Amino acid sequence: MATAPRTQTRAVIAELVQSPTLPVLLILAAMVIGIAALLPLVQSSGATTTAGNIQALEQEKTSWQAQLRELETQVATLGSLNRIEAEARDRLGMEPPQVTHYITVDVPPPESQKLPSRFLPNEHPKPQSESSLWKDLFGWMLP
Amino acid sequence: MGVGTLIMTGRLAQLQIVDHPQYAEEARLSHNVEQTVTDRRGALLDRNGYPLAASEDTFDVMVERDAWKARAPGDEAVSKLTGVIGVPAQQLLDQLNSTDIFEVDAARNLSFEKAEAVRKAGLDGVRLVSSSHRVYPEGNMAAQVLGFVGRDSSGLTGLEADLDSVLAGTKGSLTAERDGLGRDLAFGRREEVAPQPGADVVLTIDRYIQRLAEQELDRTVKENKASGGTIVVVQPKTGEILAMASRPTFDVTALDLSDDSKLALYRDRAITDMYEPGSVFKLVTTAAALDLGLVSPDTWWYDSGVFKASEWSIHNWDFSANGPQTVQQMLSKSLNTGAAWVAQQLGPDRFYDYVSRFGFGRPSGIGLSGDAPGRVRTPQDDGNWRDIDMATNSFGQGISVTPLQMAMAVATIANNGLAMKPQIVKETVSPAGRQSNAPQPLQQVISPASAQTLRNMMGVVVDGINKHYLDVQGYKIGGKTGTANLATADAGYKDQAYISSFVGIAPLDDPAIAVLVKIDEPQGVPWGTVVAAPAFSRLVQQTLTYLNIPPTEEALVSKLGQ
Repeated sequence: MATAPRTQTRAVIAELVQSPTLPVLLILAAMVIGIAALLPLVQSSGATTTAGNIQALEQEKTSWQAQLRELETQVATLGSLNRIEAEARDRLGMEPPQVTHYITVDVPPPESQKLPSRFLPNEHPKPQSESSLWKDLFGWMLP
Repeated sequence: MGVGTLIMTGRLAQLQIVDHPQYAEEARLSHNVEQTVTDRRGALLDRNGYPLAASEDTFDVMVERDAWKARAPGDEAVSKLTGVIGVPAQQLLDQLNSTDIFEVDAARNLSFEKAEAVRKAGLDGVRLVSSSHRVYPEGNMAAQVLGFVGRDSSGLTGLEADLDSVLAGTKGSLTAERDGLGRDLAFGRREEVAPQPGADVVLTIDRYIQRLAEQELDRTVKENKASGGTIVVVQPKTGEILAMASRPTFDVTALDLSDDSKLALYRDRAITDMYEPGSVFKLVTTAAALDLGLVSPDTWWYDSGVFKASEWSIHNWDFSANGPQTVQQMLSKSLNTGAAWVAQQLGPDRFYDYVSRFGFGRPSGIGLSGDAPGRVRTPQDDGNWRDIDMATNSFGQGISVTPLQMAMAVATIANNGLAMKPQIVKETVSPAGRQSNAPQPLQQVISPASAQTLRNMMGVVVDGINKHYLDVQGYKIGGKTGTANLATADAGYKDQAYISSFVGIAPLDDPAIAVLVKIDEPQGVPWGTVVAAPAFSRLVQQTLTYLNIPPTEEALVSKLGQ
């Protein structure tokens, strides 16, 4: 009774071995295994590249930041009173006034021009309330 | 064979089990980099937003010992690196060979360009670490007020130290894994706690007025061959310090902290140093008597040239005897006998009560370290106190004050008798927002009417001063001169050494500034009128113009189109 299925299985295996599709299947299987084996490598390579790019970008950010602050310091130094006086004296040939004449005029003085402050944060504009169709239609009902 | 195997097994057990924690820690240290990272240190700005001290990004060059110690001075990598950082090759290699630590700092505070050159050289075992460098766009301006930072960017003196927690921000940390050549591993452990930038601090100092004060101080010290001096400019209505300058000072851009002889230069003398103010203190004595209604400007007494107190005799500075004199004349002629007489009318309790109310004998409250209280001896707290003490105190001798205290007392008179807390910090600005310091009234020291009377008397004092020494064209001003003996540490006085001073307010009808000019040990004529008043005159003339305060004397004003 039990020998019939065993014989049947052997026949199927024998048929499979003798079948011309076996090498193809084996090649396909090898390719799948090969690709699966390469996948972590590809992933690793991609991640390494990304990490490298991140580091490069961080480096670039640091560099720009350093350049920006150097320029800011340069602006501040150019606006220093000592430099302005030196320029006025040496380049423009100016001298401090010996006598001051006061003249009254009927217009307010101009606003003093400060250096664009690099330190103070931008004034945040007040958030505007969002408009909507319903508000436009029924806004007159609201207080 | 068996013994050998046993020894090897034992050694392996020692290395892998017993000494495991030690070697694991060494491996961790050589592969993991743990460093503290900081963001930008806040700037110190003048009241108009101009930076007085700011930070710029720099870079430190770290060189790994194991990767470099075997190199020769002529090695290409060594030449490349030392060529950029400007350190002799042999010095760098000696440094590497004499250290036990993993890496050494080959150079500090490299500029961006130099750091880029190092980076582009692509040298193994070399890495750049971000750092920062303090810069002073206005040079040494207000050096003692601002102070300076150490190599680790923490404040050491002045505002840099006192406001360090505000300016420094919050430190962060970075832990990263590196390969054997010191490069970060792409898949290595990397933990970063971001630092927070420090807040910018807006000071009450005005850089223009500060510069004027420093220029006038330098000129006056030089002209009088003085040992030093101080100028303080205060805005009476707010108590804000517009300028505070002292000499001698130091070069903040070329510090030498190893030189102990320069330590004395770092302190802010306007708040730390005490001196006997001399006749300018007669304003305080007069203010008290006016406020209590004991005297008026026209009240007279008889000046015999001598005032007796205890067993001592007090004379006038010129040993004059002037006969009947008014309180106004006492101020104008600066009569010591008159000031002692006024103090006698007050009595010690009321006299010292007003001295205290004007802020003497306790720290000014400006919030800076070293804020000296001054020295006021009273009958209550000094058993050796005698009547002669009050008599000499009445004209500013035997009592010690700081220049800031004296300036604030004059500012109180200018502000209708209302004392304001001195302020040097206007606001702090951080990403979280702005925090402003509002002016803080302390107390009404004298009534507005008494203050007005005293201001008028100060105007009369100035009217009596030769215009050669004091002439602020276009403005009515008030003031008082002072010439005091220089006290020594042993409670005596230095021979032929004086402190010349002038305190004043301008304009007299609506004071915008109160100014103290104090010159230490001038050579030649020591009188405050001759030494300090000219500096006051020039400083105030330019400051009032700068502040757009219209002149009050019509003769000097011409209407446009007339």
